[in-house]
Amino acid sequence: MRFVFKTSYEQDINLFRHGGDRFWYGLLLLALAAAPLLLDTFYLGELSFILIYAIAATGLMLLVGYTGLVSLGHAAFLGIGAYANAYFISQGMPFLVSFPLAGLITAAAGLLIGVPTLRMSGIYLAIATLAFAYIVEQVFIRWESVTGGFRGLPVDAPDIFGYQLWERWEFYYLCLVVLVAVILGVANLLRSPTGRAFVAIRDSEISAQSMGINLARYKAMAFALSAFITGLAGALYGHHISYLAPDAFDIRLSIILLLMVVVGGVGSLHGAVYGAIFAGALPQVIAILRDYLPPAISQTPGLEPALFGVILVFFILFEPFGIYGRWLKIKLYFQMFPLYKKATFKRQKSYLKTERLR
Amino acid sequence: MSLLSVENLAIHFGGIKAVDQVSFAVEAGEVFTIIGPNGAGKTTIFNLISRIYDPTEGRLIFDGVDFTTMPAHRIAGLGIARTFQNIELFEHATVLQNLLVGRQPHARVNLLSEILFLPSVRRAEIAHREKVEEIIDLLDLQAYREQMIANLPYGVRKVVEMARALCTEPKLLLLDEPSSGLNVEETQDMSYWIEDIKRRLGVTVLMVEHDMGLVSSVSDRVLALNYGRVLAQGSPEEVQRNPDVIKAYLGGEE
Ligand SMILES: Nc1ncnc2c1ncn2[C@@H]1O[C@H](COP(=O)(O)OP(=O)(O)OP(=O)(O)O)[C@@H](O)[C@H]1O
Ligand SMILES: [Mg+2]
Repeated sequence: MRFVFKTSYEQDINLFRHGGDRFWYGLLLLALAAAPLLLDTFYLGELSFILIYAIAATGLMLLVGYTGLVSLGHAAFLGIGAYANAYFISQGMPFLVSFPLAGLITAAAGLLIGVPTLRMSGIYLAIATLAFAYIVEQVFIRWESVTGGFRGLPVDAPDIFGYQLWERWEFYYLCLVVLVAVILGVANLLRSPTGRAFVAIRDSEISAQSMGINLARYKAMAFALSAFITGLAGALYGHHISYLAPDAFDIRLSIILLLMVVVGGVGSLHGAVYGAIFAGALPQVIAILRDYLPPAISQTPGLEPALFGVILVFFILFEPFGIYGRWLKIKLYFQMFPLYKKATFKRQKSYLKTERLR
Repeated sequence: MSLLSVENLAIHFGGIKAVDQVSFAVEAGEVFTIIGPNGAGKTTIFNLISRIYDPTEGRLIFDGVDFTTMPAHRIAGLGIARTFQNIELFEHATVLQNLLVGRQPHARVNLLSEILFLPSVRRAEIAHREKVEEIIDLLDLQAYREQMIANLPYGVRKVVEMARALCTEPKLLLLDEPSSGLNVEETQDMSYWIEDIKRRLGVTVLMVEHDMGLVSSVSDRVLALNYGRVLAQGSPEEVQRNPDVIKAYLGGEE
């Protein structure tokens, strides 16, 4: 077991608790930076895909995991970011301008759905965001002059100061840089008053309010920020699939995004990344498994979405804190061995909420 | 001028007059207690003062400011903090994080500098932390600093909730049944905390309380409420001797 001796408040504020953390994160970053040397083009593409998923999952985590607002419409934000970025590039705008602009436009769309639904939560919010995503999908189909409708919209390779990133490894580094920047930005926000306000709203709206937190303002902000980040992921997603069609951004993608957050572990940035790895790798695993399964099962259409659904339900029922929560338990088990108490993570029900406000 | 004036306050839920023409004034520096049988409307008065409910009638004035129509999130900035009868802490956060939320009324929020975590944000965080540590020391919460609320015993949660309210640096603290669910020893501690809050921090306290021992030991003045109406007001002894109050309690509880 490791004890951290605290000698200043700085230690609680810093992103890394101790040298060990810094070492492991550094090693991980080094491994990711070295990936293009070790992986072939196919797997590098898959890894880029996971990085893009991780960016989107971080965006959704901010909303679902930290602010406690559910969204079944995040595929729409991914789509808006992708289309906006692709359209601007097709109009001759450099990537370094179109990319943040796509994020901002998506943030505006986030406000568009976030503000009218300020008083909603739970299932009602889920339905509202689902409806929003449906409308957006229709816009992708109908607004042909911009989106190309069902014909689709080709996406040019991103260019940076006139240099076009045609190679897989170049695009991979772009995704990695964006992911690291997004995670650092969100981690910073979470250790600041705004992040604490989000968590406060998630855990108790009524006392958040009585601590001076303007619910409407922070919920709108959470929606806008979440959409902004998801929009950035969308822009990269567009480059990755290189050809946009409206049905790429339907409800299935929204569910996969939500799956990442739930399976990874609600309320942790680690969870967002684990979830992205899980969702990115699962189709590969299924593809491999297909060869071993009897054809009656493996040829069934819709096997993948069905499996995603089953896994989502499984995690909600049995592992509500996701992969990250399980990892923490395993880690503690080895640190405390042989003293581990099974009840450590049991929630104490020492009081009854007999009469809640509202 | 009183710190808090409540004038002819009333709220009706459908046909129920939960609070009916209640007036009282809390003076700076005192501990003012509202007592009354279950369902008398005590918590409702707190919710009206916190602006969670809109009054049907009446006026609320704090420190010369009429806040009858002010939005709920601005009440903390005005200098009024509260606890809840059923404890409303941020369950999936540590004690420290909960207390830091109490600094929210004093936080200058600038999204971009927070995302970059500029030195100004770091300095502000350290200043907030220092304030929080003062409260931790005052209420002896050092041992629980890093613990998740969900893992804390009930009695500690009550103290944490009070600490969080104090972190907003209020002028008026509203405590809704600070001793409910506490054992005899913890109730004794609670009366010491309330004394400390009044003496050392100079915070005025308005509380709702059932435990008459605690009420008489810390209150300067008491108001008795029944069916949303004021029965009596005065020193703890006066109110306890009041025949209407005695009748209400005998009739209201079996
Ligand atoms: N939001 C609401 N809607 C309808 N009725 C309400 C509401 N809030 C309170 N009431 C009613 O108002 C009355 C007063 O309730 P209140 O919670 O203020 O009582 P209290 O004095 O705090 O009682 P206790 O000692 O049990 O906490 C009760 O009859 C209650 O049912
Ligand atoms: Mg009550």
